[in-house]
Amino acid sequence: MISLKGLKHYYTDADGQEVKALDGVDLEIKKGEYVAIIGANGSGKSTLARHLNALLLPTEGSCQISGLDTSQEENLWLIRQQVGMVFQNPDNQIVAAIVEEDVAFGPENIGVPSAEIRQRVDRSLAAVGMSEYAKHAPHLLSGGQKQRVAIAGILSLEPKCIVLDEPTAMLDPQGRKEIVQTVQSLNKDKGITIVYITHYMVEALVADRVVVMEKGHIRFMGTPHEVFSQVDELEALGLEAPLAAKVASELRKAGHKLPQEIITDEELAQALCQ
Amino acid sequence: MSIKLTDVFFTYMSGTPFERKALNGVSLTIEKGEIVAIIGHTGSGKSTLVQHLNGLLQPSQGQVSIDGVNLAGNGSAALKVRGQVGMVFQYPEHQIFAETVYEDIAFGPRNLGFTEAEVDKQVRDAMAFVGLAFDSFSQRSPFQLSGGQMRRVAIAGVVAMNPAYLVLDEPSAGLDPRSRNAVFKEIMALHRSRGIAIVLVTHSMEEAVKYADRLLVISKGRVLFDDQPNAIFTQHQAELLEVGMDEPQVYKLSSLLRRQGLQLPEGIKDADELVKKIKQAKGWR
Repeated sequence: MISLKGLKHYYTDADGQEVKALDGVDLEIKKGEYVAIIGANGSGKSTLARHLNALLLPTEGSCQISGLDTSQEENLWLIRQQVGMVFQNPDNQIVAAIVEEDVAFGPENIGVPSAEIRQRVDRSLAAVGMSEYAKHAPHLLSGGQKQRVAIAGILSLEPKCIVLDEPTAMLDPQGRKEIVQTVQSLNKDKGITIVYITHYMVEALVADRVVVMEKGHIRFMGTPHEVFSQVDELEALGLEAPLAAKVASELRKAGHKLPQEIITDEELAQALCQ
Repeated sequence: MSIKLTDVFFTYMSGTPFERKALNGVSLTIEKGEIVAIIGHTGSGKSTLVQHLNGLLQPSQGQVSIDGVNLAGNGSAALKVRGQVGMVFQYPEHQIFAETVYEDIAFGPRNLGFTEAEVDKQVRDAMAFVGLAFDSFSQRSPFQLSGGQMRRVAIAGVVAMNPAYLVLDEPSAGLDPRSRNAVFKEIMALHRSRGIAIVLVTHSMEEAVKYADRLLVISKGRVLFDDQPNAIFTQHQAELLEVGMDEPQVYKLSSLLRRQGLQLPEGIKDADELVKKIKQAKGWR
């Protein structure tokens, strides 16, 4: 689905300094995969995400979406229909005064016939659990609801892949849960490929694969168990392992035998209480 | 010395079809030197509440006073006490506007009528406080800094005004764990060294339990709970879930371990303490 080869993105800042936001990234993401990307502020996560629907273009190397190179201008429309983006602030992504009109905006723009738009809007709102709010005004919704409307707006374009860049950064605990559940079900039930950027490690636990970035490089990647059991490595990168992994690691350091792969509360409970 | 809200009601767009009650009778007192965390779901009224703390919003009914001065008046006394409350909004880096870090931080104290020598001292102190070296940062463009650094510039701009109360609306949103810890380290240092009262609006239960002496849970424009964080998180889990809040991760993990038979005390606050208590419970040393 997504293929990055030797991807570099350099730019010159206002002081004339060259910034290497991405400095040689190789990454293959399969169709239907759920990939979480973590890394400190400035590690290149968002720059990477913006390459996936050609908002940014490589300085060197290549970025291909279903075999389409993002640097070919004639591919842009096709790529952007396949890869949708969701950003941090739902308020910046909502354009209409009524929820269903907002969701219809995308398909209208690409010339979908109106009968089909109706169906797509209904399906998209159902998929994010917002059908009953179709006639509501978006600004009166909670943060989590607004963000789900933004996701429905992307879904109505029927993308194969959705890239979410810290979609929960501005949400309360309830809103965060809503988004994580919604994204999981889009992946499991609809087979949509997910690229999910977050600072909340708990939210990355549900991914198939976690990619850890540092200074424009992929530092390491693997299953959540492989990545989050590396407690000290994560801390050295300015990140935080999930609480259970951290506690298990401290207990191991104090000489107590616990399995290496503990990252969830349940796993820790099982190891300690059996 | 305190901020005092007495039976405060606030209605948005009063008298129109869009009328919406945001505060429904809030009474509370924030004493100088306290650290108070405020949690509540989106739309609970917590942002409306904090905008009353320095008179950005005036109550539709009820009264707000700072150090005994009613904010309703437009007199010089009201203006002066309003200056006692510094506000750092969400994504404060969006409020940065000047060409250099120095000019941005100097804006507040200049507006308060400080002399240039005083302004210079305030800027230097504030930068030292937030950990930005004066020589390397003061003449740089704030827009060239990292997210965490920009946020420190914005906090420094408020600190430079010498507030007695500092209100922070989600100061850690969008920051990675290391930058989050760094920002809080500075906020706590301000609290300790200058005795500034901290009012922290947050979506993170971890921050509430880690940093605050007192926790306010806001729901439907009212104060639902007002107590020590530990007391609220141990006694009111079900109600918290109902209003869209949660328990801190360490409480969840501790109570799971307790349910599975490990003898752990209530009120474990962080990973280190949990590790210690697990060792005791297991008879490990």
